[in-house]
Amino acid sequence: MPLIEVKNLVKDYKLNVRKKGLLGSIQSLLVPEYEMKRAVDNISFSIEKGEMVGFIGPNGAGKSTTVKMLTGILVPTSGTISIGGLSPHKDRKRNAMRLGVVFGQRTQLWWDLPVIDTFELLKYIYKIPEETYKNNINMFNDLLEINEFMSQPVRQLSLGQRMRADIAAALLHDPEIIFFDEPTIGLDVIAKEKVREFIKYINKEKGTTMLFTTHDMQDIEKTCKRMIIIDEGTTIYDGTVEHIKESFGTSRILVVDFAENVDDFTMPGVEVVDRKDRKLWLKFHKDEVQISNLVYELTQKYGIVDFTVQEPEIEAIIREIYQGGIKLDESLCRVC
Amino acid sequence: MRAYVEFAKKAFQINIAYRADYIAGVINAVVMIFVNISIWKAIYEDEQAVDGVQFKMLITYIVLSFLMQCIYGMDEYFIEYKVRSGSIGLDLLKPISFSGYVFSYNVGILVFRVVMQLIPAMIVSIFLFKMYPPFSWSMAAFFLLSAILGYFVLYNLNFLVWVSSFWFYWTFSLVTIKDAAVMILSGALLPLWFMPQALVDFINLTPFASIYYVPISIYLGQVPMEEIALTLAKQLIWAVGLFVAGRLLWRSAIKKLVVQGG
Repeated sequence: MPLIEVKNLVKDYKLNVRKKGLLGSIQSLLVPEYEMKRAVDNISFSIEKGEMVGFIGPNGAGKSTTVKMLTGILVPTSGTISIGGLSPHKDRKRNAMRLGVVFGQRTQLWWDLPVIDTFELLKYIYKIPEETYKNNINMFNDLLEINEFMSQPVRQLSLGQRMRADIAAALLHDPEIIFFDEPTIGLDVIAKEKVREFIKYINKEKGTTMLFTTHDMQDIEKTCKRMIIIDEGTTIYDGTVEHIKESFGTSRILVVDFAENVDDFTMPGVEVVDRKDRKLWLKFHKDEVQISNLVYELTQKYGIVDFTVQEPEIEAIIREIYQGGIKLDESLCRVC
Repeated sequence: MRAYVEFAKKAFQINIAYRADYIAGVINAVVMIFVNISIWKAIYEDEQAVDGVQFKMLITYIVLSFLMQCIYGMDEYFIEYKVRSGSIGLDLLKPISFSGYVFSYNVGILVFRVVMQLIPAMIVSIFLFKMYPPFSWSMAAFFLLSAILGYFVLYNLNFLVWVSSFWFYWTFSLVTIKDAAVMILSGALLPLWFMPQALVDFINLTPFASIYYVPISIYLGQVPMEEIALTLAKQLIWAVGLFVAGRLLWRSAIKKLVVQGG
């Protein structure tokens, strides 16, 4: 039985519609108008124990709403959620005991107090045995170097430090499941790498199940095998990261630096996507056009100074999916 | 359970950090008592008693009322802030009871105020204003019990107002109205002795008298021994009734919760 099971999840929000202008505001005050907005529309998926799943989608797709329902903060309009057999909002406290949540945009540390004070408090909240507590603190010291700022008030920490402290706080009670909500937002490259490494390490060592919400595709590529893409409240893809790359990553871009000015370049199956002086960006599909043929023909016709081949990154693929450029085949989705 | 004790300790710790606020609190209590006593002095002029109420008794009433107000102060916008900023979501992620957390936080504030504000203000008041001691030892004990019940009544009443922020987001007006109602109807400012009978009859149907008037009356020995049990029971019923109402409101608040932002 999967650890997390979501079936036909729906969440509607009631929005207060405000009218424009002064008269409009008065009208809204006297006769409020409401509008229902469906944030999550019939989402289903299941996650096995120890899996690491990337949960992505554009802003407003319904990711956070889904995560909030999984944690039990929000009550679903319809549909069921089962986390290890518990319903999150009915068994909020028992569910919370097994969860760890990291928000990149928010801290759960006590703002005015030193980091260590929050940790001590969490020890009592989650009833963490003294030994586990000590072991975990030591582990976080080794991996996240949190001892450098343990006794500083949280408000004096840098974003990178705060994030590390927040992650440590969420993992202190050895949760079975961790939700990461944009854990690397605003961090520099080195700090991001450190966070990813740590997350991977924990998943491997402790077999923790993880759900990852992010806009940074690097996070997904470097940590998750599986990816769920949602848009406008519905699942549009659920499968491996590799698969999406193979299926949609067939286009290549050949950047050619010509020796002379080439103004009227045409070739079947090849599209000029950009140009700058004597440099041209040529897009083609690797199944339609053989790269060796293309290069051969180019060298026959023109003088070439240099060329490079670019493979599309997952980020570009996702961008195209969001913009509706790629239509996902129904058969691709495991749970569509 | 230990977690809640820790919450109270943290509240104490945070309060103690604001030293200027603490000193201002003590001065404020003493000044308020002084001003009110001066007003009553002007009303009494040289009379020994007005409406059959002795001046010294009135002084005692006023001093007690303000000392109680000083320690009954709670963080009125604690929940509202959490609702508006959305940080309530983080609190609900913890395996704790949110209302228990709010209560222990306020207990932390209460302990802080008893130790750091009530004691100095009380010492000053006893010497400066020459108030009466409790009517008797047993009445002193009943007063203490009644004051604790009064705190619960006020707390649960406040809790209802605080939780309403789930619907209103801004509760400033509501808190102000509630404060005014408590000030007047609970006899915090003006003892109920001076109020018209019709109003007193009405007040007796509300929980307000249980907050200040009842404990102070017991202190002054105005509640006969045989009525003590009934009086305390009435306070208890109000505390429990408001508590149940708070639980119900809380439950529907959770249902309608829409976490802001994020």
